[in-house]
Order: sequence, then structure tokens, then C-alpha cells
Amino acid sequence: MGDLTAGMTAADWCTAVLLPLGALFSLVGTIGVVRFPTLLGRMHAATKPDTVGLVLLLVGAAFQLPDIGSAAPLALVALFQLVTVPVLAQTLGRVAYSRGEVDPDHLVVDELADAIAAADDRELPPGRTP
Amino acid sequence: MTVLDHVFVATFTMLGAGVLCILYGVVRGPSVLDRIVCLNAMSVLVVSAMAAEAALRGDSAYIGLMVTVALLGFVGTLTAARFAERRAHDRG
Amino acid sequence: MSTSIAERSLHRRVIGRLPTILWLTAMWVILWGDPSPGTVIAGFGVACGCYAVAKLPHIPVPLRIRPLWLLRLIGYFGLDLLVSSAQVALLVLWRPTRTRGAIVAVPTRTGSDFLLAMMSGGLSLVTGSLVIELNREHGVVYLHGIPVDSAEDAAKLRTQVQRTEELFVRAFGTAADVAEFEAAQRALERRTAEAADGAPKEAP
Repeated sequence: MGDLTAGMTAADWCTAVLLPLGALFSLVGTIGVVRFPTLLGRMHAATKPDTVGLVLLLVGAAFQLPDIGSAAPLALVALFQLVTVPVLAQTLGRVAYSRGEVDPDHLVVDELADAIAAADDRELPPGRTP
Repeated sequence: MTVLDHVFVATFTMLGAGVLCILYGVVRGPSVLDRIVCLNAMSVLVVSAMAAEAALRGDSAYIGLMVTVALLGFVGTLTAARFAERRAHDRG
Repeated sequence: MSTSIAERSLHRRVIGRLPTILWLTAMWVILWGDPSPGTVIAGFGVACGCYAVAKLPHIPVPLRIRPLWLLRLIGYFGLDLLVSSAQVALLVLWRPTRTRGAIVAVPTRTGSDFLLAMMSGGLSLVTGSLVIELNREHGVVYLHGIPVDSAEDAAKLRTQVQRTEELFVRAFGTAADVAEFEAAQRALERRTAEAADGAPKEAP
């Protein structure tokens, strides 16, 4: 045991906890990408745990870097990830819905479809077909 | 080997297993959007592996590359998604 | 007279663009990794050059930051991010094929573009939700959430979304935004009460 923990500083311990935790989140997210049956479910798995995993890994890596100047770009990476993930999720969600790749069997309610149907009814007066 | 060495082995093993899962997802599909989602997750995993690598080596040489890969992955995924949308629109 | 207007517009143009240029310079310095005067000056020059070449427009940002609400937002947000990730992780490991979701419509109570954009970004990141469509005209946001198995879960999701919206408005909105939000909130409550009672009530 003494050999195993020789020369470990507090920063090393932080890294030792955060790195595997982040990698675990990433791994679970990617397993979800494979295991979820629907496209929207896969997108949930691809966005959330991967982001948390990446942020944990970045914080863990920051503890191993020599000074704060070389660790600052890691914060930039985390910021970019947090800003870009919602944009991607939203774009992909809209595209998935417009392509009709949303499986209604896995939805309890779909209020967007109801709203689209209602809007179509308003646009087409009764007795006229498109 | 200290605890930290074991930690690095475990981290890289998990990330590697994640990449394998993603590759399976890319091959399986079944639709274009599934593949786009998988490839985006892969780019996030590559950035994660680079972060682990930076921790292992204790230097910041890769960090500029990490920013680049993260932004390129974002732009690539967005472009591919837009392209898929336009094709659906043209067909309809 | 004309010079003072020209001066003021120049002043406004410079001040309005300054935050973006400072942010670009800060990014340049961070990526170089050394805050020496030469790097800062070069970064400032490159940022100004990018601005001039790309002809980026000056977008007024009508935001006011309230530190207390911002802290609450960050705390709630970080906690929610972790919880929703753990939740999705559990779902992955435990019968993912049986997981069902729902697409729910949630009425928004703010008209500000910035707040709507920030809110939908925040929603896509947390609470097992994913914004699919944003209808600005009618002020409705459509989002997909997992796991939703019943109407009660859908209602819970709706409550969570509205709480997130309130936090964003109170943390970043101007006084006008907050007033608009509160008025819309009262109108919404009244409509809900009327729908529940079945008969319209007199407003106090």
C-alpha cells in the first residue's frame, strides 16, 4: 500500500478521482447511444453524460498541469462544449422531427404533432382538400 | 506503479471501449441522423482522450489542438445536420 | 450639432463593440498561454482586424445581471446537469428499450430573444429535456423529455421547465423583462384557474 500511494499529492488524488469518473460518464453515454432504441433517446445519451464526462476529465487534467496559465485553455474547451451542445441538440432534434424519424410508440404525448394538426386545420377551410 | 498509473490505465480503457461502442453505432445506423449523432459523440470522446493525455504528460502542448477538434466537430456536425434537413425538404 | 451626433454615434459604436473585441483578445491570450504585452497587443490587433474584415454587426445586449439569482441559477444548473446525467446513465444500464418519452408544449412567459435563446440552450443541456421547436409568435417551446411514463411525469417536466425559465429571467432579464414575465405569469395563472373552474372569473 505504501508503494502504491508513494509521492501522491492532493492534486494527484483529485485527478485520480475525477479522471475515471469522467471516463465512466463518457462510457455510459456512448453505451446509451448504442442501446437506446429511438433517435431522440440516443441524442439524450450523446449530449448529457458526454458533456459531464468531458468537464470532469478537463477538471481532472487541470490538476496535473504545472501552472494556471497552461490550464486556462481547458476552461475554454469546457465553455465551448457547454455552448455548442445545446445548439447541436436543438438542430438535430428539429431535423429529426422534420424528417419524421420520431417513433410515436415511444412517446406518451406529442403536443407538437397536435399543434401542427391544429395549424393545418386552420389553414384549410372545411370542404377543401390540399 | 502508483494509484495514478492505474487511474490512467482505467481511464484510457473506458474511453477506448466508448470509441468501440460508437464505431458499432456508426456502422449500424440505421439512419443518417443516427450516424451524425454517433460521429459527434466520437469527436467529444477524442477531446476527452486528449484531456486525459494532457494529464498523463503534464504539459499543455495538446490544448490548442483540443480547442480546434472541439470546434471542428461542432461545425462538422452542424453542417451535416443541415444537409440532412435540406435533402428531406427537397424530397418532400 | 452634427459633430456631436457623429461623435456620439462613434462613441456608441466603439463602446458597443468593445466587449466582443476584449473577449476575442482574451481568447487569443489564453490560447497563446502567456499574458505578455506583445501577445495582448497582437491579439487586440487581430481582433480589430477580424471585426473590420467580417463586418460583424453591433448587437445591443439588453441584459442585466443579478448576482444572487445568477448564483442560484448556476447552483441549480450544475446540480441539475449532474442529476440528469446520472438519470440518463441509470436508464442506459437498466432497460433502455422500455424507456418512453414525450413531446410537451410549454408556454413561455418572456418575449426577449436573448432570454429565449439562453433558456432553450439551458433546457437542452439539463433535466432530460431537448428543445425541438421554438414558436416565437405564440410563445411556445416544444421539448422532448425522458423518462416520461404518464401524464403526471409530463406535468412535472413542465413545472421544471417553467422554473428554469424563471431563474433565467430573474438572473439576466432587465427590469422590463421581469415585469413582462410577471404579467404573463399572472395571465397564465388566471387562464389556468378559469380552465379549472370552467367559468371565467372577474379579474381583481
